[in-house]
Amino acid sequence: MPEVAEDYSLGLQVEVGTIDKKLKKLWQKGEGAMTRASLINLAVYSEAPGSLEKNTELIAKIAQTYSCRAIVIAADCKAKENRVEAWISAHCHVGGGRSKQICSEQISFRLEGACTNLLPSIVFSHLDSDLPLYLWWQDEFPDPMDPQLWAWVDRLIYDSQNWKNFDAQMRLVETAQSEAKQRIVLCDLNWTRLDKVRFALAQFFDHPASHHHFGEIENAQIDFAPGCRSTAVLLAGWFGAQLNWRCEKTKDAKALRFADADGHRINIVLREANGAPVGKVVLSSGGVEFVVAPAKCGDLLEVSRRGQEEKPIPQMMPAQDDDPVSLLSQELLRGGPHQVYLRAVNCVRELL
Amino acid sequence: MNKASERENVNPLREGLSTRAVPQPCSVVIFGATGDLAHRKLIPALYNLAADGELPPAVTVIGFARREKSDDEFRREMEEATRKFSRQPVRDEIWKTFGESIFYHQSDFGDEAGYKSLAAKLDKIDKERGTRGNRLFYFAVAPDQFEPILKHIKAAGLNEAREGSWARVIVEKPFGTDLASARELNRVVHTSFAEEQTYRIDHFLGKETAQNILVLRFANAIFEPLWNTRYIDHVQITAAETLGVEGRAGYYEGAGALRDMVQNHLLQLLCLIAMEAPTDLGADNIRDEKVKVVGSLRRFAPNEVANSVVRGQYAEGAINGKPVPAYRAEKNVNPNSMTDTFVALRLNIDNWRWWDVPIYMRVGKRLPKSGTEISVHFKKAPLVLFNKQSTEENVLVIRIQPDEGISLRMQAKMPGTSFRIEPVKMDFHYGTSFGKASPEAYERLLLDAMSGDATLFARRDEVEQAWTFIDVIENAWAAKKDAPELFFYPAGSWGPEEADNLLARDGRAWRRL
Repeated sequence: MPEVAEDYSLGLQVEVGTIDKKLKKLWQKGEGAMTRASLINLAVYSEAPGSLEKNTELIAKIAQTYSCRAIVIAADCKAKENRVEAWISAHCHVGGGRSKQICSEQISFRLEGACTNLLPSIVFSHLDSDLPLYLWWQDEFPDPMDPQLWAWVDRLIYDSQNWKNFDAQMRLVETAQSEAKQRIVLCDLNWTRLDKVRFALAQFFDHPASHHHFGEIENAQIDFAPGCRSTAVLLAGWFGAQLNWRCEKTKDAKALRFADADGHRINIVLREANGAPVGKVVLSSGGVEFVVAPAKCGDLLEVSRRGQEEKPIPQMMPAQDDDPVSLLSQELLRGGPHQVYLRAVNCVRELL
Repeated sequence: MNKASERENVNPLREGLSTRAVPQPCSVVIFGATGDLAHRKLIPALYNLAADGELPPAVTVIGFARREKSDDEFRREMEEATRKFSRQPVRDEIWKTFGESIFYHQSDFGDEAGYKSLAAKLDKIDKERGTRGNRLFYFAVAPDQFEPILKHIKAAGLNEAREGSWARVIVEKPFGTDLASARELNRVVHTSFAEEQTYRIDHFLGKETAQNILVLRFANAIFEPLWNTRYIDHVQITAAETLGVEGRAGYYEGAGALRDMVQNHLLQLLCLIAMEAPTDLGADNIRDEKVKVVGSLRRFAPNEVANSVVRGQYAEGAINGKPVPAYRAEKNVNPNSMTDTFVALRLNIDNWRWWDVPIYMRVGKRLPKSGTEISVHFKKAPLVLFNKQSTEENVLVIRIQPDEGISLRMQAKMPGTSFRIEPVKMDFHYGTSFGKASPEAYERLLLDAMSGDATLFARRDEVEQAWTFIDVIENAWAAKKDAPELFFYPAGSWGPEEADNLLARDGRAWRRL
């Protein structure tokens, strides 16, 4: 089947009105050798030049672990004339020792002109019925957001790391969420970036005998890569939200200050350092240091607990890759309502 | 632990993470550490858990075996085995720290001094690695070794946990060879460990699809209303393998298919299919419901066994076009062996839900293909429509291994102007829908045992009830007079013809795998 996107091509160009018919034909050709699989509708929207090809490559990789119907949209909203082009393709792989190929289908659109008017109809008319709709919005959100579009989204995926104005963007998202017909789960890839670090930090405190350390945390240090300060602040927000700390104002841009329920102060130093978005994290509590740091090999975390009379036992744990494929795959696999994320955001909202 | 203290013990940083809390640090002592199970399953499973970050760093593995070996030698052997059998490739960086947590302890199982030195070693490890006095003993040895090991564990005081710590034991099957030996085994185990410290492992229950049976039944409202005698015609459970006895003749000669597979794996699957909804997912609530199923199995009178159970043994034949010898010609097998390599049974569960719904089970070696599955056959729709054209019943199939998944057969109209009806299949494959590989059964079960979750382990009463049922059959087969016949089937066939007749008598047929 020529449309198999091993070379990440957009596939077969089709008239918008004939997409369903052409897709059916595509599957008829591969019948017997291919299994169409889909767990979700994954719509990807971007206005960046060249995004259609780039996102096609991302989807091809993501579909290997998460079958979906992908609707990839590249928009040029500033174009003077309205124009829509469409392509169909399939991303196939042989999985689990099976002889059949497992395939996800992709419908790609290039929109020019009145994107806001075109977008909802494009997305809604090509959904695989009964499957949830995940919308990955790769740009900043427009103001106002089109309520018609958000009305049917189950999970809204975005990356707040590069937002210029976090509060304004978050308010747009929250408004859209409140106007939606059903609950939209907000999935911030900047939060997903912290998944493995949070896991590594949390495991220090799984044993009830370690819980006393929560009340004894005096300070913390979080290293972050240039441009990733918001990721580090979000991590501090997670500590604050989960340990009932209140964020206090401080004039020092390199430090955050919290107070726990007893008024006890906790200082978190943010330090810019080259490397992973969030690098070394150290929590100091009652003479013990809990350390999570990127290992030299790059894709693991080195985790250790260092006390005055304790022999440290280092441990390697999985680290989160920062590329979009890994981040989105992780986000799709973990699911959940992300209420902890909202609490973390609210704890440090003014600092983001 | 009550709900309030559970809440107090919750780690707030764990909320919302997709992984479960790591278990408490502990020492895992594997008896029989130089054996096949440790090499193929246990150490690779522990490595995978460590690689996924599911184990605390202090978890320490102590291999206990007779052979003379240094820690480094044992580590090298385990690394080699893990590289060969692990689900995910071994990373040097991870193995380095994991390997350092592995130690070897040389001793005869019956040598008291060996246990005293083990106790001293465990104390030292507690101090150096922070394992906090928590101990998990894994018996990867034949049951006849249980008693000396348990006796010495107790003598060395290793069965009793210190304040705030725990001691648990994982026992591998077979859990006895009949009711009397199972009771004796349980008695022996309980001289050293209480029931709540005892984890009887059945790796079938660690499989993702086996666990999914509860989700399928109790998280989908459409199935449960139909899950009873009113709508279900019968149930079939098949566990087929192409393999012969391989290198296990010594064990298999004394066990046979009924003891090796039916008493544990197949009855466990039956329990999951037939049990009532538990009040919650607590280990004992689930196991209470499972025990009721085994307790409701209609016991055969000795003279009914021949009519409801077919035993077979493979003769010479071919698997995948390759000639294979008869069971009796296998190495270390008695040339006049009467051991069953195939069993087919017709069972009934005497309760309201399953009244008059026969359960057919079959298990065998050297069958044409390998696969374990459960099929629920629903009653046919009335034939008043469609010119009384005969239709096939709806069948819900739960594939346990390989190619885990669920399919539903239903009727559909063939395209055309007439009403021609053909069966079609809706098919869900785990591997197709979820690209992420499932953890191996042993990974899940080891983690559960470390976390003190006994849900997926067999309880004493489950095991004893199962033997009560199985013993009647074994005793009938062993009878000197009028013992039911042992039927022979060519390797590569679906068992003796009598197994087909078992269903044919009821107007039914085995599902084609």
